[in-house]
Amino acid sequence: METIITDYNYWIYILLMMIGLYAMLSQNNLVKKIIGMSIFQTAIIVFYVSIGAKKDATIPIIEHGHGHGAASQAISALQYVNPLPHVLMLTAIVVAVSTLGVALAIILGIHRQYGTLEEDEILEQI
Amino acid sequence: MIWQLDLIILTLIILCAFATISVQDLLSAAIIFGAYSFLMCLLWTEMGSVDVGFTEAAVGAGVGTVFCIAAVFQTTRKVKVDHQMNPSKFIGLLAASFIGIVLLIAQGDFPAWADPDSPASRYLSPHFITNTIAETSVPNIVTSVLADYRGFDTMFETAVIFAAGVAVFAILRRGRGKEENDQAVAAGTEDVNQDLIIQWICRQLVPFMQLFALYVVAHGHHSPGGGFQGGVILGASFILLQLTYDLKTVLQRMSERWNVLLGNLGVFIYAGIGLLCLVLGANFLDYSVLSKILPATSPIMARSHGMLGIEIGVAIAVMAIMIGIYTNLSSHGDHEQGL
Repeated sequence: METIITDYNYWIYILLMMIGLYAMLSQNNLVKKIIGMSIFQTAIIVFYVSIGAKKDATIPIIEHGHGHGAASQAISALQYVNPLPHVLMLTAIVVAVSTLGVALAIILGIHRQYGTLEEDEILEQI
Repeated sequence: MIWQLDLIILTLIILCAFATISVQDLLSAAIIFGAYSFLMCLLWTEMGSVDVGFTEAAVGAGVGTVFCIAAVFQTTRKVKVDHQMNPSKFIGLLAASFIGIVLLIAQGDFPAWADPDSPASRYLSPHFITNTIAETSVPNIVTSVLADYRGFDTMFETAVIFAAGVAVFAILRRGRGKEENDQAVAAGTEDVNQDLIIQWICRQLVPFMQLFALYVVAHGHHSPGGGFQGGVILGASFILLQLTYDLKTVLQRMSERWNVLLGNLGVFIYAGIGLLCLVLGANFLDYSVLSKILPATSPIMARSHGMLGIEIGVAIAVMAIMIGIYTNLSSHGDHEQGL
């Protein structure tokens, strides 16, 4: 039971990574490949956020951080979850949606040229 | 952290991932992927990562799904059914299981999940947690790391988003010839999908969305949120208008020229504040020196105000790029008719 609780997050990120990689390599449809790529990205984000988690810690916003006497309280690093992976992943998500936009734009261009989204039919026409 | 909730959400995530890959209709795949993103947002909030959860709710579950639907609408929703075992499927299965086995073996060396003494939490992050109030007077540690300690990183992430917007523009945008344009205007574009109830509700919704987005940007120092989330919500309010009315209505309010200008302006504000610090005699993006020009401000409060400035820049840039990508995707680049 203890193993399941502690390792389940890691198993899930490995499984999601496998699903994403399989979709990218084996799906014939280009939109499905893009969705596979997004699943792969979220798998990595799950991994990073799992690294940042801490037992019995709260969200990374300092309590009573504003107002009078804010600096007088002692702040312990054990009280708050690790904020650094969150920062890296926050920007990664916004960049991921921008790259999703670029990928979908390329797909629209391919469909305009070849009239299909299936990989084998495009290869035949080339 | 409630581990029972964690288990349920993770299992649902795996189910959604399988469903979105195996379903034989691209529109359904896009919708299931939206549900997947929403479950991800719940998972991250549950693990204490509120800012990432907020971003995923606005970006992945909201705008990303709309992008996918726009692309599917402009192409086709059919998927060719193919149950045969061809070589590419076999290779894919082989590669995925190989990676999976390697990672499972490596997983034995990871620190236990949520261990406070794991290497990632031992060296750099305690400094950020204990010193953020004293050094920047910003209680939300994610904001202070994003905008100050790792300001360079965020600046180039913003530049990447801007480059993505320019790339979509370069791939898809095609103007019409003058005569064709006149013909289109003469023919008149009457709308077929106008629904009074939906339009009225969305018209009431948009001002509150924009007000909320501005709150998220301005209050990012003390609560989850900031430039990226606020910018995406601002962009989403315009995308909602495009979905319920039509492309022309939105282009009258936010023309393409203005949109491109705002995208540039956002990145310029970020880099400009950095340059201003350089001119005032400190390092690039060292906001404490801004206290020389901001009245009645200590160097520590100046860092807080500098962060607000660059968050505003990020919000403007992200808003403009999201609107630009959606406009080009939904109209196939000719800006004639949206979804």
